[in-house]
Amino acid sequence: MSNVIIPEEQASIVERPEKKAPLGPLFWLCVGWIALNFLGAIFANVLPLQNPLYQDYSSINVGPSLHHLFGTDDIGRDIFSRIVYGSRVSIAVGFGAMLIGFGIGTPLGMLAAYRRGRFDTIMTSFMYILLAFPAIIATIAVLSFWTPRSLLKIIIVIGFASVPLVYRVIRTATLAVSTKDYIVAAKVQGATDRRILLKELLPNIAPIGVSFLLIGVATVIALEGTLAFLGLSVSPPTPSWGNMINESRTVLQVNPWLAIFPSLALCLFLLSLNFIGDRLRNHFDVAEVKL
Amino acid sequence: MIRYVIRRILMLIGIVFIISVGSFYLIHLLPGNITTIIEGPGASPANQAKLYKLLGLDRPIYEQYFVWLGNVLHGNLGTSFISQESVASTIRAALPIDLEMIFISQILAFATAIPMAMRSARKPDGIVDRIFGAGSFTLLSVPPFIVIILLVLFISIKLGIPHTGVSTYVSFSSDWIANLESMALPSITLAIGSFVVYFRVLRSDLIATLQEEFITMARSKGISQRRIMWRHAFRPSSVALLGAAGVNIGGLLAGGFVVQFLLAIPGLGYTLIAAINQNDYLLVQGIVFVVSVGVVLINFIFDFIINIVDPRISRE
Amino acid sequence: MSNAPHELLVVDDLSTTFTTMGGPLPAVANVSFTLARNETIGIVGESGSGKTVLSRTIMGLQPRSNVTVTGSVLLNGNQMVGASEAAKRALWGKEVAMVFQDPMTSLNPVMRVGKQIDESLRVRLGMNKHDAKARAIELFELVGIPSPAQRYMAYPGQLSGGMRQRVVIAIALAGSPNLLMADEPTTGLDVTIQAQILNLLDDLKERLEMSVVLVTHDLGVVATRTSRIVVMYAGRIVESGSTRDVFNHHRMPYTRALLDSSPKVSNASHTRLVTIPGRPPNLLKLTAGCSFAPRCTFATDKCHTERPELQAADEPEHAFACWNPLPTNTERGS
Repeated sequence: MSNVIIPEEQASIVERPEKKAPLGPLFWLCVGWIALNFLGAIFANVLPLQNPLYQDYSSINVGPSLHHLFGTDDIGRDIFSRIVYGSRVSIAVGFGAMLIGFGIGTPLGMLAAYRRGRFDTIMTSFMYILLAFPAIIATIAVLSFWTPRSLLKIIIVIGFASVPLVYRVIRTATLAVSTKDYIVAAKVQGATDRRILLKELLPNIAPIGVSFLLIGVATVIALEGTLAFLGLSVSPPTPSWGNMINESRTVLQVNPWLAIFPSLALCLFLLSLNFIGDRLRNHFDVAEVKL
Repeated sequence: MIRYVIRRILMLIGIVFIISVGSFYLIHLLPGNITTIIEGPGASPANQAKLYKLLGLDRPIYEQYFVWLGNVLHGNLGTSFISQESVASTIRAALPIDLEMIFISQILAFATAIPMAMRSARKPDGIVDRIFGAGSFTLLSVPPFIVIILLVLFISIKLGIPHTGVSTYVSFSSDWIANLESMALPSITLAIGSFVVYFRVLRSDLIATLQEEFITMARSKGISQRRIMWRHAFRPSSVALLGAAGVNIGGLLAGGFVVQFLLAIPGLGYTLIAAINQNDYLLVQGIVFVVSVGVVLINFIFDFIINIVDPRISRE
Repeated sequence: MSNAPHELLVVDDLSTTFTTMGGPLPAVANVSFTLARNETIGIVGESGSGKTVLSRTIMGLQPRSNVTVTGSVLLNGNQMVGASEAAKRALWGKEVAMVFQDPMTSLNPVMRVGKQIDESLRVRLGMNKHDAKARAIELFELVGIPSPAQRYMAYPGQLSGGMRQRVVIAIALAGSPNLLMADEPTTGLDVTIQAQILNLLDDLKERLEMSVVLVTHDLGVVATRTSRIVVMYAGRIVESGSTRDVFNHHRMPYTRALLDSSPKVSNASHTRLVTIPGRPPNLLKLTAGCSFAPRCTFATDKCHTERPELQAADEPEHAFACWNPLPTNTERGS
């Protein structure tokens, strides 16, 4: 008389009905925005953009116009074209660092959760110790001592710093999946470890992974902005959103456009990433992962 | 409980050990001759000898570590060869500013996040919840350096409130009212970031807790909604909140430099950036070490508080 | 309360319908019964028969959103259906209290049990700190908790299941309620503890002159402890009457199936328990006929198309809802 459904359980659910949250038009709008930014970053060279480094002293701190869509900065460079070129740095750092973080963290986390035993114990304690280490300070410290700075070094340092976090998320997700019946069934049927890891576990943790990846990218892009303020990001005159906002500080009163446009570009990009990540997580009904 | 605390303390010691190794090794990331790089090419022989003694540079690297650790344990983090001041005393002067900033920002963040999360959780997906949710989500995507620029633009420049702009820091001992004014913008900026985290974490946990049977039981006793929220739902829902607060406050200690740098408030973060720009490596090393240990200590303290709040955790 | 009505609880045509993504879900439909003072009534049914929702609706404890309640519940003259939360709150604890199913989840895990009973005494009854503690310890003693002064400081996690359920009962008793709703009070407990808790409830009912609604899936539990029984299936009453009549003169095949499926001491050992084939119906997809028809061996075409209403049986206060009732006792062996 036991394994029965209906009211007792449902009575508690009705206040918050279980539903697969629809992705909604806003989700696709955000996806479109990210895609547009990607295209801009990739094809910046072939697009009819002005040279982002060309200094036109005849038009300094000009407001938005047809000739300069977003106006010009304090040494006469076109803000619109600098923003498009600047997206290259943000996108490269964000996705590049997460590529490293996930490239290392995912296999380690999956293996640890799948194998368990001593490998898991050692790996997990090691990662948790690293997690206790303040990643921002470590990143800044290494970047300030490891001269000369370059985009690649920034990507590498942030990427490695993110490994423990990625490891924890992936390991937890894999643990939750690997006790499910179909995984056990696959094991019993004699599937190879390799097959189970790649064909069974990976597709099932992918949704969690992707949504965490997007939120991670947003975090890293914000971090790049912070580094730019500290003079630890790519060196001027190479445009990056962080660099541009940083440069705008001295002319805030004269030319607020210089602060507003790159800030908008940055915030919209982060908002889109966060929104996509959040929606995906809801869609696949994954519990809130704490960053 | 005692076993749990001992285990945590052992882990704490292990982590501090690793941090000390990391901080020590930072110096060796520098390319070339360390004394020349740290002191510059024109260093006096006396200073060079002092640095040699501090870092134990004539010995093998593992011995160097213990020489350095011995000095650190005696409170000697070296002397800056740029300001000629002891690194430890520089840190001691800057740290209180960070602590004050964090303290004010956390009061602001908790005072807003807790009531708002409770209001949201009372009717999940209701109008208020949706508005709060969308608002917090938007704030999540605005990095602190943009917040501070906006605040400076509107509060210091447009409204002209004194001591709120760039380079207008007044110390607490000289004029505490002016000090609070100068602390307002950085504290608000940090509070916004914290608020978003606390609101989201507490809201989702409150919603889960309010579904629990013991809440229905509390209701059946006939006690008020308000009392149920505060006495029954809040405490079991605050474990993740406290965990997030531990990580976040540690993050503020480590990440507060942005606002300090932008407003020229001479806290640890500002000092760190200045030191990086002046290649004052010993000061950088000292701050990295102190801040890292501080972050770990904060996490440790919050772990401990969580155990008091929820006795289930240490019993496991 | 000089002119208080004879009946403490009058439930009349009570329905509880949840609004779900799959449409309206009638968890309780057209339930009526009454309960006299100092009486114990048993509400019996399988999991999913709506008995828990019914007991919560009677108390007015149903969730606040996505639910519609119609009909009437008069509790000592107070209308519970449609009453404001504040009005119900005034009755909760003092007029009616509930003992919940699972003491593992119904006590706040991060609050000392003393504090949890204290709350009823101080907030609801306005006692001072000292008196409340003394009374709490008294109540703990009453429900048979050994060394109550020490248990007062314990967290729920430090107590056994049986002890926790005693704490839950003590809390329910704190406001000296006239009506105690016991919702499967022993389901979460070991078999040996179950009898203790049930006997305790029985004993307390006598000593404190309460009425009790005992909700259970186990007919054995209600056999000796109730004067009347209501059998529920798919949210509706399918048979009700005095305990004797329901056990000995039942007419509804479902009641019989329930009786057959519970173990009896009189059975020879290794007797196979009879199970009811199939499962309770999905309340979102009820047919026009009798809800039990798909599982009933006596079902005819009529059973599938037309719902039988409750009709009076030969005995007084005995009613059943069935088109093909079992023959009366004279023709039956057992």
